[in-house]
Amino acid sequence: MFKTYYNSRENWLIFLLVLAISTIAITPLFSIIISLLKTLFLSSFSGDNILFVYIKNSFSILFFVTILTIVFGIIPSFLISFFSFWGVNFFKYALILSLAIPPYIYGYSLSSFFENYGTAFSLLKNFFPTIDNDIIPNLSPKTMAIVSLSFSLFGYIYLLSMTTFNNQLSNYIEMSRSLGISKFNTVSKVIFPLSRPAIFIGISLVAMETLSDFGTVSFFGISTLTTGIYNSWFIFDDIETSNLLSLVLLVFILCLFYIENKFQKKKKFHDSVTKSNQIKPKTLKGFYNLLAFFICFIIFFISFVFPVLQMIYWSIKYSNYFNNLNLLALNLNTLFLITTTSTILLSFSFFSNFGNRLLKNNFLTILSNLSISGYAIPGILISIAVITIFSTISNFFNIELKSILIGSFIGLIFGYFFRFYSIAFNGIKSNYLKINSQIDESGYILGLSKVKIFFKIHFPILKENTFFIFILISLEIIKELPITLILRPFNFETFSTKAFEYASQDLIEAAALPSLFLVLWTTILILFSSKYFLKK
Amino acid sequence: MFFIISSILFFSIFQTCLSSEINLYTTRHYEADYEIYKKFRNKTGIKVNVVSGKSKPLEKRIIEEGKGCKGDLFFLADAGRLYSAEKKNLFQKIKSPLLNKKIPSHLRNDYWYGITKRARIVFYNPENVDFEKVKNLDYEDLGDKEWKNSIAIRQSNNVYNQSLVASLIHNLGEKKTSEWLENFVNNFYEAPSGNDRAQILAVAAGEAKLAIANTYYYALMLSGKKGKSQQEAAKRVKPLFPNKNNRGSHINISGIGILKYSPNKINAIKFLEFLVSEEAQTHLSTNSFEYPVVENINIPQILKLISKEFKEDKLTPVEIYGKLQTKSFNLMIEKKWN
Amino acid sequence: MKEFFKVDNATFSPNQKYFIKNVSFKIFNKGDIVSLLGPSGVGKTSILRTIAGLDKLIDGEIWLDNQLISSKGFNVQPEKRGVSLTFQNNCLFPHMNLKQNIMISKQDELNIIEVDQLIKKFYLKDIINNFPHEVSSGEAQRAALIRSIVNNPKLLLLDEPFSNLNKGLREELQVLLKKILKEKRITSIIVTHDYDEAFYFGDMCGVLINQKMIQFAEPYKIYHHPNSPEIANFFNKGEFIEAKITSNNQLFHEKLGVIKGTIDTKFKIGTIVKLLIQAEDLIHSDKSDLVFKIIDKRFVGTNFIYTLEISKSERIHVLVHSHHSHIHNIGKKFGIKSPISLEHVVCFEK
Repeated sequence: MFKTYYNSRENWLIFLLVLAISTIAITPLFSIIISLLKTLFLSSFSGDNILFVYIKNSFSILFFVTILTIVFGIIPSFLISFFSFWGVNFFKYALILSLAIPPYIYGYSLSSFFENYGTAFSLLKNFFPTIDNDIIPNLSPKTMAIVSLSFSLFGYIYLLSMTTFNNQLSNYIEMSRSLGISKFNTVSKVIFPLSRPAIFIGISLVAMETLSDFGTVSFFGISTLTTGIYNSWFIFDDIETSNLLSLVLLVFILCLFYIENKFQKKKKFHDSVTKSNQIKPKTLKGFYNLLAFFICFIIFFISFVFPVLQMIYWSIKYSNYFNNLNLLALNLNTLFLITTTSTILLSFSFFSNFGNRLLKNNFLTILSNLSISGYAIPGILISIAVITIFSTISNFFNIELKSILIGSFIGLIFGYFFRFYSIAFNGIKSNYLKINSQIDESGYILGLSKVKIFFKIHFPILKENTFFIFILISLEIIKELPITLILRPFNFETFSTKAFEYASQDLIEAAALPSLFLVLWTTILILFSSKYFLKK
Repeated sequence: MFFIISSILFFSIFQTCLSSEINLYTTRHYEADYEIYKKFRNKTGIKVNVVSGKSKPLEKRIIEEGKGCKGDLFFLADAGRLYSAEKKNLFQKIKSPLLNKKIPSHLRNDYWYGITKRARIVFYNPENVDFEKVKNLDYEDLGDKEWKNSIAIRQSNNVYNQSLVASLIHNLGEKKTSEWLENFVNNFYEAPSGNDRAQILAVAAGEAKLAIANTYYYALMLSGKKGKSQQEAAKRVKPLFPNKNNRGSHINISGIGILKYSPNKINAIKFLEFLVSEEAQTHLSTNSFEYPVVENINIPQILKLISKEFKEDKLTPVEIYGKLQTKSFNLMIEKKWN
Repeated sequence: MKEFFKVDNATFSPNQKYFIKNVSFKIFNKGDIVSLLGPSGVGKTSILRTIAGLDKLIDGEIWLDNQLISSKGFNVQPEKRGVSLTFQNNCLFPHMNLKQNIMISKQDELNIIEVDQLIKKFYLKDIINNFPHEVSSGEAQRAALIRSIVNNPKLLLLDEPFSNLNKGLREELQVLLKKILKEKRITSIIVTHDYDEAFYFGDMCGVLINQKMIQFAEPYKIYHHPNSPEIANFFNKGEFIEAKITSNNQLFHEKLGVIKGTIDTKFKIGTIVKLLIQAEDLIHSDKSDLVFKIIDKRFVGTNFIYTLEISKSERIHVLVHSHHSHIHNIGKKFGIKSPISLEHVVCFEK
């Protein structure tokens, strides 16, 4: 049963606990599948046109976002990895900051900038008093949604291609040049094929985020799968349509998930076995130097500086909103959420990983691998699942659990648990794999207990990367919107909920200040851990 | 020992029973609201705890929480939403002669009470549209070929539009409204997008000739609270109150009902009654540019200026927006209103 | 006639802190093979990388086929040098199978028949369509070798090409590779820490110890006439003892007595020198009076090597054929034939 060194009752206890943790993490997936199955078997579809519109919109947005993120992600990372030009060291880290801005907040800035008589108009009017509003281009909501998502998500592709170019490829590049292969052919036959797995992983991440996005598309009033699910479940009580849309969304996301997994495996084969030397960048001069600088600068400016400036502009112009914001409470709430959730997630993940490593039980391992599916599931589906699960439990056991679970911190943190468990679990898992199992064996032979092995051997080695995982989880929680919006308790606001609610009430100026604080938090977190991002 | 524990328990229960608090679920975010809650607390010592959000998820939550729900009041914008909550048995009937006296009957029913009022009217740009053409405009005229490719209005999923169409169904009948809708949708200047303010701005920019929007957005822009450019833009646009020669312009309310399992019912009623006091009504109107529901309240100057031609439709009870909402939305979708 | 390849007074540096200075050597003829020998970590790989153009030359010059390819501040691009380098870790492109790896450079100029022949000779025919992660490291190494040879580089650099192979296969491939290199007249530099390999391949051999190239000469000369005690120690040839030169063909050691052999005239009579005594120089004789105590014994298949204690601080090794009639035990006395006569006298100033 357990392929471990010695059987003891302890092993059964560990087994049950790991089983419990993994099961909890999987429940939303099951809950969603069960409702979907119910719909499939118990009802017939009306074959709505609406479904087609939702799918069409979701996928056309996905298509354009994918293309744009590939362009914005790969071009600068290629330039920064292989060339030396003015500002290269600055842009290397600065471009990561684009991940500090959630897409919906980018959307607020963009829409207000380009709206009729909006910020762009006001700014231009300062310099050209006779200017007419016609000069400002009219961007459609769909275009703005695509731009917002692209500039906030390209960071994933940027990071992944940076790590591939820098850490994996220099051996192969030297080999290729040494074989007399021209620079151009080196790029097309060696660099790009070998970077493909990492880039595809980045694309899958971007695609999952785009399909799951709710805040941005709902702000721009676009009918997509997520807004459709929201509308049918919450507004029209049309569970069937909601489930149908969820099914479509989930199928596509699980496909992406599958693709991502496949490329992770491929990536392992492609990763250089020995340590690579650093690439020696080629210095650019003159026109090319300027061009490279300009490209990176434009992307950095549009993806980070522009929205931040817009938010600062509003915060100062409409500083009266400052008084209404209980900044202290919002900061404390944020701190509370990230510390509690991270602590829970990290401890559970440590325990599961340790248990898997110890017990080497196939069933448990498979279950644990499934338990990370949460991150592929859109926040909105998770919120629905949490409410449904707790209602069901409540009704089944006839206990008044609802008020404790729904609309309390327990419910909210459960939601975060489902969604972000994979970050902690996978993060710790990949670091655990680097610890040779023979180290454990030497420990056992020396008579150390399991607990001691964990605390004296495993944990000190894993500690460093734990900090980075904490940062990643915190970033996600701070930016998260649908779960927080739907499940939070009384009087409990976060920067994201405040910003969203002001914005949906057409009070974008008021949304500026909480948005600014949100971005302040995320920026600081990213800056603290910037070196870890590029090591990954 | 036992005595100490039991007395502590007793006091905490006692405390909860006598807690000077009320729990409010609301879909509104105006600063003005928060100031009202503060005023209420200063006056009565009762603290207002707030959960804000979108109406449907809040509704869902209240239903799921069931008997354990700690909410006392539910504050919603749009009579249709109030009706929906009522139909889901979220509210309880209360008896308040004060409320019944102060609030006109078409703005309330047994379960909920309108607190502020707004009109959904037409806006035009005198530079592009001849005043003669619009001075006696009715909602029914908006389907005319005259206005082809020139109407700016929000998407069909917006509840204010659904209520407007519901009121048309009530007054014109389903068949006529259906025909009207077909023509009306053909008159859109582009596929609907953006909020009410964006529609008004489209008219200011000359992209559309007529916009349909709520009065307070226009007043807000005129006041300068949205910045100088928006104020200038709003000045280029003039309001038009339709149907002034017949039933009057379509109005809607923000209203509150007391939740069924409210733990602090008495305090909740106190709060409701406070909201219809002169102090609260003036405050709300001055800050959010909505119309008060109570008669003879002083409205801000801007609102006075734009509402000279305002004839309110008092014949249509706002309650029917809810009754006809589903039908209205289905019709809108059927006629391809995006 | 000008040499085909020259490294002139060059300084190499793998990182900013470690330098290998004043390296000079030449390859006169096209098709010659040079081996670079030295302990691990001395910088041999860095020298190869610099010759390939992947690292910069700190000082000096490198010439190939009458063209300057590297000097201080001047560096011809790696892909334009005609210099091919195999890495220690084969570095096959993981996204291509072995065949594609081999065929990747200059596809139009390759002679397919020749390539197939090479594949056959290196025993890769059956797995030629497999991917690098599907074959053993030895097989991958062979594929990498073929890859470097097929485009007929002007200069081939091999960095420990057989390190991943077991002994039997290694020797077989050494023979095969040398034959092919000579057939195709590919000028090569092979780097290794195994002197058997270095001596087998190299027409000339350069020894790198302690950040310097100590000697560059034919293998025979290096082995039998090393020009520094460090080389002798590197080969672990024997032990050094102090002896006094008594005439130009004789030395004298306190315990070992008279030692005969031709001494280099540069040493003055009467000088005390460090003299290398190799195991094969001494002949065992049970009848001799010159006896010492055995302190260690080692069986190496064809021979026994006995370690004898001459004095408190000195000892020597004696090679005895294992067919010798009797085996001596540790602690017992062991006789060596006197006087000792050396084929090659290897000695250095004290």
